[in-house]
Amino acid sequence: MFALSRASVRSVSRSALRSFGAVQTADKHTLILVRHGESTWNLENKFTGWYDCPLSDKGHEEVKEAGRLIKAEGLTADVAFTSLLQRAIRTLWHVLEQTGLMWIPVHKAWELNERHYGALQGLDKQETVNKYGKDQVLVWRRSYDIPPPTVDKSSPHHPSNDPRYAGFDFPEEFTESLATTLDRVVPFWNKTIVPEIKSGKTVMIAAHGNSLRALVKHLDGIDEATIAELNIPTGTPLIYELDDNLKPIPQAGAIAPLQGRYLGDQDAIRARIEGVKNQTK
Amino acid sequence: MFRSIFVLVASFASCSAFTANGFHGNFARNKSPSTALSMAHTLVLVRHGESTWNQENRFTGWVDCPLNEKGIQEATSGGKILREEGFTFDKAYTSTLKRAIKTLWLILEELDLMYIPIVNLWKLNERHYGALQGLNKQETVDKHGKDQVLVWRRSYDIPPPPVDESSEYFPGNDPMYKNVPKSELPKAESLKLTEERFMSDWENVILPEIKSGKKILIAAHGNTLRALVKHLDDISSDDITELNIPTGVPLVYELDEVTLKPIPHPDAIAPLKGRYLGDQEDIRRRIGAVLAQTK
Repeated sequence: MFALSRASVRSVSRSALRSFGAVQTADKHTLILVRHGESTWNLENKFTGWYDCPLSDKGHEEVKEAGRLIKAEGLTADVAFTSLLQRAIRTLWHVLEQTGLMWIPVHKAWELNERHYGALQGLDKQETVNKYGKDQVLVWRRSYDIPPPTVDKSSPHHPSNDPRYAGFDFPEEFTESLATTLDRVVPFWNKTIVPEIKSGKTVMIAAHGNSLRALVKHLDGIDEATIAELNIPTGTPLIYELDDNLKPIPQAGAIAPLQGRYLGDQDAIRARIEGVKNQTK
Repeated sequence: MFRSIFVLVASFASCSAFTANGFHGNFARNKSPSTALSMAHTLVLVRHGESTWNQENRFTGWVDCPLNEKGIQEATSGGKILREEGFTFDKAYTSTLKRAIKTLWLILEELDLMYIPIVNLWKLNERHYGALQGLNKQETVDKHGKDQVLVWRRSYDIPPPPVDESSEYFPGNDPMYKNVPKSELPKAESLKLTEERFMSDWENVILPEIKSGKKILIAAHGNTLRALVKHLDDISSDDITELNIPTGVPLVYELDEVTLKPIPHPDAIAPLKGRYLGDQEDIRRRIGAVLAQTK
């Protein structure tokens, strides 16, 4: 004569399991990361940072393929995050189109932008080496916490001169290192993305080399020296499974130091990761 | 009130001359914040372009078919015109159907505004065509007769036959709508029902953003845009069923800041108060051409 609601039955059986010390099937949270494809300024070998250049033709193709790989893997997503820069937004749009997910909510945030390159933005990489020397440029590019020289508000590269950043306050003198990039990526992850994951949503993030480096450093506990050298290949889906504490469950096929796995031709991917390491500039 | 506007406006160097019809030019145009004191909220509407099912002459409704090549071009042209006329936007709304979403994406890409927030509202979806969805229009006429089909297509408040709850065309079976209570999802809609479900989002979601001063772009479908202009321009139920909104052509409204009623534009084509951007002759022809398509 008593009616047990489904919820009460569920809670009874869960607590019964716990009291028997049974291992609860952990809820796995899938997280899909994609670094945007080649941009026109990559092609022109210029320091890009927050400059809003588009994808190159190759970049468009790379990320359409990323979308196809995600679809072939049978993955879906409930919500997506990206930066305010079109090369990442366009990457996301290609992936959503390929996976039939154009309708999911998309949140765009400056906190996922590429690292700002300060006064180097717009400069040709080789010219900069000629001007400042190879070692100095290497420090600016690959050190963890030494930023390039700043730009001030008279520079078109200062965010106060771009309407998309209206409403945000940036320092008068602005530049970023990987360290300071992490300082704005991780709080955004914690405050805005983590609640979505915890509510059971599968999250997709289309972002940039350094904002993704910041995120995986945080997820995989990678040290500063290693992360500064780590290359995340463009347009290559990187899949994480996170446990209930948002810790990565190491994936079969993961390439250290990451615990997530890439989708696609594994040999080609390894070659790409190694290849950029050898690009001493 | 007009006299004081004249005085205010005349003092701005950037304003263009007044014509006998009233003032237009820079004053009413959606330009950067540094120009003339805006007394209106700009709202731009675009109907998505041709889809693959339009080509195949099938009743589409909520079926999520893509734009075809022509539809893509239409959207890009719409974006180009908006760019040439100096429009900018703060936020965009569209439906959950890819033909409208793609239209919006193409326009934002043209405008270099890909970074603005986009909100997908299922209530902006096209009218649900019930059991007719998927059927070829000619076959349907052959089956049910020209008059019956005309009623289903063009009556204001008679919906087509409903789909069954088990049907693939019932949105309750589509993961896209898993967060919407099934009782809210349609099995068939008339223009009237479409209007009723859209207007709640217009009032509660979109209008507050307009009031807060945001420049809004809406990329949507024939019947949801009909519902909106019917409301904005006070068009009768009889007149709205015949009204055609040409695809891919930006439709610009200036809403009075206080009353939120459209300020009639001198170039507007009745019964609308908003104006289409682009070749006016071509647009008039396109509106007339569809009217002539009695099916």
